[in-house]
This record gives sequence, structure tokens and C-alpha cells, in this order.
Amino acid sequence: MAEPAYTVASDSETTGEDKSSSAFPEIAIGIDVGTSKCSVAVWNGSEVELLKNTRNQKMMRSYVTFKDDIPSGGVSNQLSHEHEMLSGAAIFNMKRLIGRVDTDPVVHSSKSLPFLVQTLDIGVRPFIAALVNNVWRSTTPEEVLAIFLVELKAMAEVQLKRPIRNVVLTIPVSFSRFQVTRIERACAMAGLHVLRLMPEPTAVALLYAQQQQQAVNENIGGASEKIALILNMGAGYCDVAVAATAGGVSQIKALAGSTVGGEDILQNMMRHLLPDSEILFSNHGINEIKSMGLLRVATQDAIYKLSSQTSVQIDVDLGNELKICKVVDREEFEEVNRKVFEKCESLIIQCLHDAKVETKDVADIIAVGGCSYIPKIRNLVMSICKRQELYKGMNPLEAAVCGAALEGAVASGISDPFGSLDLLTIQVTPLAIGIRVEENNFVPIIPRNTTMPTRKELAFTTVRDNQTEVLIVVYEGEGEKVGKNHLLGYFKIMGIPPAPKGLPEINVCMDIDASNVLRVLAGVVLPGSRHPAIPVMEVRMPTVDDGHGWCAEALDRTYGSALDLVTVQKKI
Amino acid sequence: MWKSKVWNLTLLSTILRRRPTLLSISHFQSNSTSHFPPTISRTSYFDFLGNPNFPGKTFCSESAEKSHVHVRCWSCGNVANGSLFLFCDSCRSIQPLDQSVDYFQIFGLERKYDIGVENLEGKYKDWQKKLHPDLVHSKSEKERGFAAEQSARVIDAYCTLSKPLLRAIYIMRLEGVDVDEEETLSDPELLSEILEIREAVEEAADSQELNQIQSQMQEKLDHWSSSFANAFQCRKFEEALNSIRRMTYYHRVNEEIVKKL
Repeated sequence: MAEPAYTVASDSETTGEDKSSSAFPEIAIGIDVGTSKCSVAVWNGSEVELLKNTRNQKMMRSYVTFKDDIPSGGVSNQLSHEHEMLSGAAIFNMKRLIGRVDTDPVVHSSKSLPFLVQTLDIGVRPFIAALVNNVWRSTTPEEVLAIFLVELKAMAEVQLKRPIRNVVLTIPVSFSRFQVTRIERACAMAGLHVLRLMPEPTAVALLYAQQQQQAVNENIGGASEKIALILNMGAGYCDVAVAATAGGVSQIKALAGSTVGGEDILQNMMRHLLPDSEILFSNHGINEIKSMGLLRVATQDAIYKLSSQTSVQIDVDLGNELKICKVVDREEFEEVNRKVFEKCESLIIQCLHDAKVETKDVADIIAVGGCSYIPKIRNLVMSICKRQELYKGMNPLEAAVCGAALEGAVASGISDPFGSLDLLTIQVTPLAIGIRVEENNFVPIIPRNTTMPTRKELAFTTVRDNQTEVLIVVYEGEGEKVGKNHLLGYFKIMGIPPAPKGLPEINVCMDIDASNVLRVLAGVVLPGSRHPAIPVMEVRMPTVDDGHGWCAEALDRTYGSALDLVTVQKKI
Repeated sequence: MWKSKVWNLTLLSTILRRRPTLLSISHFQSNSTSHFPPTISRTSYFDFLGNPNFPGKTFCSESAEKSHVHVRCWSCGNVANGSLFLFCDSCRSIQPLDQSVDYFQIFGLERKYDIGVENLEGKYKDWQKKLHPDLVHSKSEKERGFAAEQSARVIDAYCTLSKPLLRAIYIMRLEGVDVDEEETLSDPELLSEILEIREAVEEAADSQELNQIQSQMQEKLDHWSSSFANAFQCRKFEEALNSIRRMTYYHRVNEEIVKKL
């Protein structure tokens, strides 16, 4: 077969780069872009090494400051004081904002951050801006993340003395496929090619698999399968995974995750210390931003202290005759954040349930991420698993990035003479993917925690006599109603031969291939026929663009329930 | 969950796998040393949905003949020893999908219903370490295609063999007996029993009651699983089908319970 004269990257391809590798692959670096902090690691030929910036830091603050004309990020920038980051000129918490619309509660809770997050509440991308010389300069979460990634890239290039292109990035479990495309977009803007995106706890699972493999090689442990429960809770997200590890292969059994983390704990505490803080700060004047920054720093400081001491004295002058002078003990702190801790608990229980694993079968409990230092978090995970201690073999702040670096080396085709890279993670789908049916119900076609690559199919039918068109609206998530889930895309099937309702069989097939690309196929078959009545539709998802919150509503307004479908009921 | 209308599913998935199919065909044309007829690649992987579909009896007997022919690695030309050839031991290249290798062969098992499920996971992971598409990222597009198909098939094989009901349906199909999972219930005794259990599930007051029904179902499943094993061994396929029917219904009740729990 002749080679095609030229190829065009698919329009839905966010990177626009060809995926084939050269004969001598470069080792992809691992990046863990946290909500609050970020780190970079690489396989150096014998082990994973964390890269340091010029100030000898391994963990860099994830933020970008817009000063004068040149933005600068937390990789290279030297803050004169913590408060500089809270002056309105710096944008941070990008990971909580990226790929979300302005009706999202997470975006709303970001409105108390000391930069501008404006919502119109109509389902479009929120407006974010930094204060530069008393002007609110607009930007986007993707742009901010890209500026930050460019700095990381430059830092790695200086240290590794080679150009960096391929990266493995860690992402939260609860990220939708649409959010993933936004991350890929930011990487492409920074000139980086995403070799792989790993849910954070699966990166930790890979590191665990390698450690277990080494223990086997050194005859410390047996070669049998070990089940690990991994809790990864940082500033923005809480993720849980159950992984079964043997022989360097880590099979993810289940994933669970939610947008809950240190940022929520911080905001709860700020509200506790100053009950009407949000109203006070809502107009984003220069003085208010300054006060907000002061309160944030003082609260953060207090939370850190409460991890090692049982009570803390908070003394802060917010200006405008607003002073806070209060003693907070650990019990009070835990009560204020009760909902956060309950959410963590339910995620762990759900994950164990989905994995069909009994707590007695869990060999190791791994708690990582910044929040794993909070005594309550450590206690709750231990008490659910009925254990006295946590796994000690990992640095809680470096585990995810180390796993990403291992994956980077494995995916780049690097092998290690000592078998240290004889590793594999078998991933599962973190969220269910399905379609909208009658009455805005969500029917999953690929359930969550399905081993990838995968392909599943379900049969649907029409709800009206002589219905010639149906709307296939694809969602991702766990809600029973589509409104709670993420819209990925939609298309219409037209020209269904007129038939009584319930007769045409509309088969919807979803396929996730080895590169984690999702394709949705839909075909129509009439009873007694062996062939599709009309050509089958094949659509690569997600197809939605920014402002997709609008689309669902517009579809609803335009079509109502006229083009609905229902699942074909199973006979008893 | 299981569908009987295999032709439908085949249709959609054939369309989806168009690209790898084209690829492998071009490979067969360019590589004359290959002993694989192109038809094998065209029948590529269509057993999804936990629906163990495969070419059937005739194809299997063909494979018995074919094992006399020496299969060569497409990459290094090494002759395989043994009929199982997913992966070349000599050059570590992943081979094109060969539908004639059945799930039991993949796991190095005798073709029988009673298998030790506990050893499956280890073997599954061993295969994935050789075949998983993540590990051949730097190889040619052709081999990446093979990896995707082989790895997916090993996942299907693992899922099918590790679940008693799916394993039973699969082994029957290997014998050329098709199981229609969507057939309507005609046995009035079973029908009334099932309706009764469903009612009990619907009316169950708490999770304790549900757990109780669930363990009853598990007992029944175990019972019918062993009667399937017996019937199958004696090649009493009608009886074996009856056991599968029972297992299917008890399994569905269990699914209902899990939904409610």
C-alpha cells in the first residue's frame, strides 16, 4: 500500500504533534503540577531524580505573577515575601480552575482568592484576571499553566542539557476528558508533548510496584500479589486508588476522587476565623485583597502548626481596624472541616467497595500529598483499614512525581539492566462514560473502573412512533442525572426509517483505545435486517469546546425531549 | 448485559477496527515470508461486551492442522516452538492476533470448566508485561497495533475465564454450542422462582436482608456451576445449557442486589 502523501492531524487532537518516536527516544520527564506546589523528576539512568531550581528547591509554588509586561512563575521567581503572591498580581490554583465553567461550585469557591475570578453563571469559561499596575489584566487558566510549564521546561533543559519535549503529567482522578484536553492544550502551548497523563494515585501505585519488585529482588518480601490502598490528598483534590501489584505490574482495581483538599480546609478555616470574609472581600479593592492575603497566610500557618501541636494562637492585623486574635485547637479544626473529612472517608470506602477488596486483604496503606500530614486524615484512613500504621517507604510530597518519572522512562522505551524499569500500570477508567436518555437520565456504557483499553456497547431505541432522528449526547461522570456529569459531546442520528416506537435498535458503542482516545459509534438496525439502516456514525470525543455548559441547555431548549431515546429493556 | 445479536456488535466494531485491519493487510502484502493468511487479521478482535465471540469450531480444527505448519515471527523470522504465538521469545516482538488461539491456551490451561482461578491473575500480568501497548510506545505503528489487539484480547480472556458464568458460556461456544442469553424464559417453575426472588429483593427492608438473599444466590450459583461442570464433562450439552440458564438468572438477581446495596 502506498504511503499517504501527507497527513493532517485530527482536528480534535490537541497537541498537533505526530506521536511516532525516533529511533533514539528521549526520556520523558515526569511533572506533578499540584494545585499549590509542583515538582519535576526524571530517570537518570539508575534511579529517579528530582530536579531543583536555581534556589535549590525541589517543590516549587504553582503560581504565575503578572508584573509589568513579563509574567513570571514560581519556578524562577523569587518572592520577596509570601504576601507578594497574594497582592492580586499572582494567579494560582490553576488546577482548580482549568476546564471548568462558571456555573461550577469549585469556580465559585475560587472567587475568594486574591485575584479576580468573575462568573456570569451561564456555563462559559470564567473570567480570570491579575492586577497589574492597578489594571485587571485578563488571562486564562490554560495560559497561566502554559507560562508555568514553560518555566519548568526551561529549568529542566538547563539541568539535563538537552531539549525537553516529552512529558508524563499527573492529573486528578476526577478530571473529565474535557479537562484533560485543556491540560493537553496548555502543554502544547508550552511546547510540550504529553506522552501520558496519569491519575495521581496510579503514579504512586507505580512507584509502589517498583519498590515491591526491588524488595522481591533483594529477597525481603515474597513475590506474591500485594494490594495497596493509596490516598493522595493535596491542596486541590482528594484521590484514592486500590492497586494489586505483582512482579512490577500494577493493576488498578478501582479509583475514586473528588475536588476536595487543602484549599477547602483553608477556606473553611478562614470563614471560621472571619465569618463574613467573603462579603468583605467581594469587591476586590486593593485594601481588601491585602487583608485577604494576610488572613490567608495566617490561616495557612495555623493549619500547618495544628499538624504537630494541639492548639494554635492566631494573631493577625488585617488593617481597616480588623483584627483577629483567637486560639484554635485541633478539635475545633476538625469540627470546622468535618465535611471535608467525611468526604475523604466516603471516597476510601467507595474505592474499597468498587475494588471488591476487604480491608483485611490490604497489605499496605499509602497516604501521600500535603494533606497526609494532617493527623485526622492519617487516623481516618488507618481506622477504615483497621491498621495501626501507614506505609513508610515514600516521601509523601514526592511520590506522585517519582511515579510519573518512572512512567516517563518506561513509556520512552528505556530499559534498565537491573530490571528497575520492568514495570507496567494497567489503568482503569476513572469515570463512567455514557449517554443521555429520556428524562435527562444518564446511562453509563463504559462503567467506571473498567480496564483500558476497552469497548462496550448498549442498545437503545426510539420513544416516539415514526421518530426519524435521535440525539446522542455523551456525558462522563457518576450522577444519575446528566446535569451532574460532564458533557463530552453530541451528535444527531438522522434518517431512521419510520417505525413504531421501540422497534428500531440504536446501538451505541464506545471504544477507548491504547492511547486513551475515546470514540463513540452509533448505528441503527431494524428488526429482521442484518445491516445498518443508515451509515454508522463514528465520532471522536470530546468534541465540546469552551462554554460547553451552554450547549446542554441550548440542546434542551431547541429539542426538548423530541429526539430522546431509551435503553432496550432486558427481558426477564 | 450480554447480547445475543452478535452480528450487530460485530458490525460496529469491524468499522471501528478499520485502521489496524488495513495496517495488517498492508503488512501481509509487503512481507511474503508471513505465513498468516490475511483473513486472520480481518477477523480481528470483536469480542467485547464480555461477549466471547470467536470463529467457532471449524476454525479451531483448522488450528490443529496449522500447528504442524511452523509459524514464523513477522519481525525476526524465528520459528515458534509450540502453537501459542502471541509474542516472539527470540526478538520480543508482539505477533499479530491469532484468533485460533483460544482463551484457555492463552493461559496455558487445559480446555475444561474447572480451572484454578487463583493463578489467572499472575499469568494475566505476565502477558500484559509482554503485550501491553504502553510498553511498546517506541516501536513501529504496526507492532503497536498488534499490542493493542493482543492486550485487549488477554484482558477479555482474563475477564471471561475468571467469571464462572462467562467461562461456561465461552467453553460451550468453543464446543460449537451457542448460548442465547436473551431468550425468553419458558420453564414455568424457574420463572415463578425468579419472580419470587425478585419480589423479595424489591421488598427487602435493609442491607442485611439483601445480604442474606445474596448469599442464597451465591449458593445456588455454586450449585449450578458444579452441575454445569458435570454436564459439560459428560458432554450433556442440553443439561449444561440448562445450568447456564439458571446461573444467568441468579447472576442477574445478584446484580440487582448490588445496585440496591
